[in-house]
Amino acid sequence: MENIFIILLGLSMIYLASTSRLSAHVNMLIIQGWLLFGICFTAFAKEPWFELSIFTNKEALITNIPHLWGLLFIIFETLIIKAYVIPWFLKRIIKKTNAHRDTDANIPHFYCLVISSILLFAGFLTANISAEEFKLVDPMYFGISLSIIIISLWLVTIKHKILSNVIAFITMENGIFLLSLSVAKEMPIIVNLGVLLDLFIAVFILGILVREINDEFKDLEVTNLSELKDYEYND
Amino acid sequence: MINLLLLFPIIACILLFIFKKNCLNSIMINTYAVLHLLISVTACFGIDLLPFWRSYPLFVINNNNIIFLLILSVVFLAVAIYNSGYIKTEQESSRKIRHYSYMILLFVMSMSGAILSMNLGLTWVFIEGTTLASAYLIYFHKTKHSVEAAWKYVFICSIGIALAFVGIILLSIATGSVNSLYYSDLISNAKTFNPFWLKLSYVFILFGIGTKMGLAPVHFWLPDAHSEAPSPISALLSATLLNSAFLMILNIFNIMVTANCDSYARLMMLTMGFLSLFVSAVFIYHINNYKRMLAYSSIENMGILIIAIALGGTATLAAFIHLIGHSIYKAIFFLTSGNVLKLYSTKKIKSVSGLLKTDKKTGWLWLLSLIGITAIPPSVLFISEFMIIREFLTQNKIALCIIFILLLTIILYGISKAVLKMCYSEISEEKTAEIKNNLMQMNWKFYVPQFVLLILITYLTIFLSNDIANFLLRTFTTLS
Repeated sequence: MENIFIILLGLSMIYLASTSRLSAHVNMLIIQGWLLFGICFTAFAKEPWFELSIFTNKEALITNIPHLWGLLFIIFETLIIKAYVIPWFLKRIIKKTNAHRDTDANIPHFYCLVISSILLFAGFLTANISAEEFKLVDPMYFGISLSIIIISLWLVTIKHKILSNVIAFITMENGIFLLSLSVAKEMPIIVNLGVLLDLFIAVFILGILVREINDEFKDLEVTNLSELKDYEYND
Repeated sequence: MINLLLLFPIIACILLFIFKKNCLNSIMINTYAVLHLLISVTACFGIDLLPFWRSYPLFVINNNNIIFLLILSVVFLAVAIYNSGYIKTEQESSRKIRHYSYMILLFVMSMSGAILSMNLGLTWVFIEGTTLASAYLIYFHKTKHSVEAAWKYVFICSIGIALAFVGIILLSIATGSVNSLYYSDLISNAKTFNPFWLKLSYVFILFGIGTKMGLAPVHFWLPDAHSEAPSPISALLSATLLNSAFLMILNIFNIMVTANCDSYARLMMLTMGFLSLFVSAVFIYHINNYKRMLAYSSIENMGILIIAIALGGTATLAAFIHLIGHSIYKAIFFLTSGNVLKLYSTKKIKSVSGLLKTDKKTGWLWLLSLIGITAIPPSVLFISEFMIIREFLTQNKIALCIIFILLLTIILYGISKAVLKMCYSEISEEKTAEIKNNLMQMNWKFYVPQFVLLILITYLTIFLSNDIANFLLRTFTTLS
């Protein structure tokens, strides 16, 4: 089951690479949030403690409270932050700045489609390496998350609108989230919370800066942001 | 007691938020600075001021981070004093200045957290926190250029630090059965780690945190952010923020040394170090903005630090001497650049002339910090660079040594050309009158912090005795 979610997550990156409407990008972020939730939830459903009885039996509930905290945290992280708060915030910025499309990327959309498919395919191939080292990770998670991270980094370089850069940054974070799932070990909850808080504030600050850039420069092209140079000085 | 370092700024922010008094801004920052210095100096002598208050085990002062904490305290105190004079001359609304004060407090808190934290994941959280807290500080003037600088800073650093997090995940794959990210656990189990994943994780962490530290080829945010930020903030960024990123790299390198994967790590660090030297030499040679010049000089010095660590041996001791020297001299230099900017209202080297004639104190500070940062003999950096060159020769790396000296000479030429031009060139009468007018708004707070720092570092240089060397050598015993 979770393999289907993971593959859908990879395919959503191809869709992101080949469309130009920013609101479609944001919708894709919502879908990615739900998919990540699906992946985590199916992993939880496989655990032996995960039964209906924990909600009816009081003793079972008390012994499983740490697990339930983990589940609650995952729901909070994926559904509330990744699938609701961040997309809502981005949609508001799109409305305020009137930037609906990211036209003329550096590469035509058809080639974007081809390149991102190749990267995703490379991810699948990595997942099938049967070396000794790869026994330490879950290969499917590892391969796809690697290709999501690489596609996102590549999208940052080719897109022309500042907002698409922010969206690519968030998809990269989704990729990293998937990568952290590939390791069986869990991070301590304080680190997880800190990471989530940092990312949330980063997106928030980037969003504020996007609006400031829109006010200063009248549009959101990345090329505007190349005034600071070493050779032609302008004050 | 350590908790107070992290709790005080939060309490101070809440107080500022409730009372909204202008006079409180400087008081809070100065109190925090004094408290910071007090705690780190007492910790240095092994005294805990509030022994009944047990600290959380996540934050510890030990041999590894005490130097970094001391540098942060000293520089922060100087910056806080300078800042209380500086902020009065800025014509900004009291609301904006209050936000600025919140952010300075949070910025120093996250740097202290990054230095004190004993858990790799938590260090990451605090390093990202420094980016977020300082974004507003860089954007303080709200001009086109500062919004561009702040955008580049937040975006590039966030991506870099996200890649460092990939590195941390890969490291936790490498640890195998060890389920902990505490440095002590990582080091004691380092020999059992899987070398493939360990090496891979080091690549990501070095590049990710190297972004924050300002190593070429991932340094692009640094000149923009340092030149657009207000001068006290530039001083903090250059003299303390880069160090706290350096500490994290050192900690990971320590693990690599224990796991016997260090030859690979050393090669990567040497490459990045020499690239940093090369990039700063190329750009400083033709520089036309003095704050950008100082920023490139920071890249250069970070390059020297990473080269020294990569060489190992006596160069490790040199790295710590260099770290102290660079932080203090660069803080003096950046704070003085704030004076120059106040006097001349331009960052162009071409438009600044006759500094010694118009304001003697600023002129002399400018010259003395040139001597310090370019490692001309009375400077402590001369000792450290000399030790690094000696280490190059003992390891028979003659070609690298020649390149190292050549690049340093080019940088020396570039910086001194600019600084001497600014100090000694002729200036017209009416310009002098205009500058004298600007000089009226500057008080003792614009000079005293730099002079005190200068006296401190000169004292350290002259009396760099065995005791201090031993104290420095205690840090990172596996490295030296």
